[in-house]
Amino acid sequence: MTDRELNRRLKNAIEHAAPNDPEGVLARCGAGKGNVIDMKKAIVNTENKPVRRRWTRSLIAACLALVLLAGGGGLFYQRAYAVASVISLDVNPSIELTVNRSEKVLTCSGLNEEGRAVLADMGDGADLKGAKLDVAVNAIVGALVRYGYLDQLDSAILISVEDADAARGARLQQELVASVDGVLQTAANQVAVLSQSVAADKTLDARAQQNSISTGKASLVEQVISLNGDLTFEDLAALSVEELRDLIRIGAPAMPIGRDAALQAVLDFAGLTRESVPYADVDPELDERTPCYEVELVIDGQEQDFGVDAFTGEVIRGVNAPSVTDPGPALPQADTPAITEDEAAAIAWANAGVAENASTVVKQDWDDGQLLWDVWFLEGGYEYEYEIDAATGAIVSYDREPGSRTVTSVTAPVSPGPAADSGGSTASSPAADSSAASGDVGAEAAKAAALGHAGLSESQVSRLKCKQDFDDGRLEYEVEFSADGYEYEYTIDAATGSILDHERDWDD
Amino acid sequence: MQSSVERPPEQSPDRVRLEMLLAGIAQGDRDAMAQLYAAARGAVYAMALGILRDPYEAQDVTQDVFVRVWDGAAGYRPQGSPMAWLLTVARNEALMRLRRSGRTGPLDDDAVRQLPAPAGLPAEERLALQEALKTLSDAERQIVLLHAASGLKHREIGQILDMPLATVLSKYHRALKKLRTQLEGDDAL
Repeated sequence: MTDRELNRRLKNAIEHAAPNDPEGVLARCGAGKGNVIDMKKAIVNTENKPVRRRWTRSLIAACLALVLLAGGGGLFYQRAYAVASVISLDVNPSIELTVNRSEKVLTCSGLNEEGRAVLADMGDGADLKGAKLDVAVNAIVGALVRYGYLDQLDSAILISVEDADAARGARLQQELVASVDGVLQTAANQVAVLSQSVAADKTLDARAQQNSISTGKASLVEQVISLNGDLTFEDLAALSVEELRDLIRIGAPAMPIGRDAALQAVLDFAGLTRESVPYADVDPELDERTPCYEVELVIDGQEQDFGVDAFTGEVIRGVNAPSVTDPGPALPQADTPAITEDEAAAIAWANAGVAENASTVVKQDWDDGQLLWDVWFLEGGYEYEYEIDAATGAIVSYDREPGSRTVTSVTAPVSPGPAADSGGSTASSPAADSSAASGDVGAEAAKAAALGHAGLSESQVSRLKCKQDFDDGRLEYEVEFSADGYEYEYTIDAATGSILDHERDWDD
Repeated sequence: MQSSVERPPEQSPDRVRLEMLLAGIAQGDRDAMAQLYAAARGAVYAMALGILRDPYEAQDVTQDVFVRVWDGAAGYRPQGSPMAWLLTVARNEALMRLRRSGRTGPLDDDAVRQLPAPAGLPAEERLALQEALKTLSDAERQIVLLHAASGLKHREIGQILDMPLATVLSKYHRALKKLRTQLEGDDAL
């Protein structure tokens, strides 16, 4: 049974077993919602600029009413005016709160334009004065979620606490993290909550102020600079917490271009203007093997994914240039990757420290618009899996686990092709070499057998796939293709080329 | 060595369409709700079933998820993947059901109830799902069911389940192997 067939069975069974009672759901849904999203505006709003909504104001008002009730009507909140702690929240917006010894908010202000916009519905932060710190922080985090700043899977929020009393600072930090974590658990549980204690530092404060960021974020910037002294404070201050966190993870090798420049690079590359694209999203992935910005554009209802090298600004992957009047330069085609399958295998072998490996299986795959080579092999009792970027040869991911199957049915190792034939490459030569040595007829012969049986030529079929597999203790080829509304599946004995099994079904 | 070419998967259900349906739901559009239900009930059920292993509890959770979506659609922002958002709601709901029931994990093997046998479901398809519930580990089961039903990419599944891509791929391939062994006999490897 092929993977495809197994998946099809599971999908069908799930569809049948899943409830099919929309009326039952609708009966439990209240009438009109009132919570209106202007989706058109929201989709155009791709640079995380806040879209103000009336309901937000009433929600905040309700929240603050609760705050004031909880605080005994707010009569005693000014027990002390002295600032005991400074707390900052950073995503892209930077917001700073000062609190007294009773942990009541003395001031709350946005440090940059985005931070000020988030606080606009809270009287520019004044409405939070006197509120208990955790309630105020939760209200702010709620607003950050509503404004879409914490939507992406790898989003990060940084909570920084500066307090002369180290013990109190540590306790506050712990309590705030738990509280924010609780809010995000239901609202946006994919967000990473980072926290730190920051020592009072006038120089750092001044630099933070100059760059319109919090002292907490400034501290994060300093950490990046400690890894790479060539980077400037001013440039780094413009990055998001997520980008800074990822830079620290990867050792800050260079200055990333930033989200705006990444989007512009893709627009330039595809010959588009910002106005011609109704939806765009930029997600920093600096901690991937190839640090990049993932850029997603939707044009005419079609999603287009691109990858932009985070340091050079080069568009390193993309699928099919968007259909616009001036489509710009052609994007790399799916079938002609820069890295061949042999090279991908060689990269994986070299990384694993093994010589050519007869059990190696290489498959081309797509993920998030990125063309990859999936390389799998068994060596020394371990199962290795690699994902190799087909454009750059970079290792995107790898895994090694104790192997679960043997390859005893493969009688001879793959021998490297003659140097002259393989251009001096250390990678194994194509299937022909191994075929002769192992009694394997090879993928081409397997495909020919299947096509011959179906009475079709290769040019008459689509989605032709040929996959080597071990089944029933023997080496086989699974050949699949579609033609004339039918889907064909063949199992070919790799040793003899004979057809072991075949099936023809409607192509759905 | 062999190779094959896999084209990018179709967006099914279409991402942009889901965005628009969620926008409609946020505005109280009941027809949009019915359409979303039809498009995503399988994926939501797969997530719930993967966690709970109980076909009937998973049905309850699926219904609850869509009621929650109705209540919470206004909180959705279009920057992310709508299916990932929906499945995160489903995951939370299923985990909450686990906690409420006092269980810390899915049912024991003996307690796994038989799948419903609706008319029109071929026996071999029902058997495949039944075996997935019995045979696979928690993580393998969740990955395989989600992949089959949701159309999500392995990378997105990894993000939802908080697993590295390589782990998802490895578990996925191993799980399919295990399933084949169960369905085709011990010598299927």
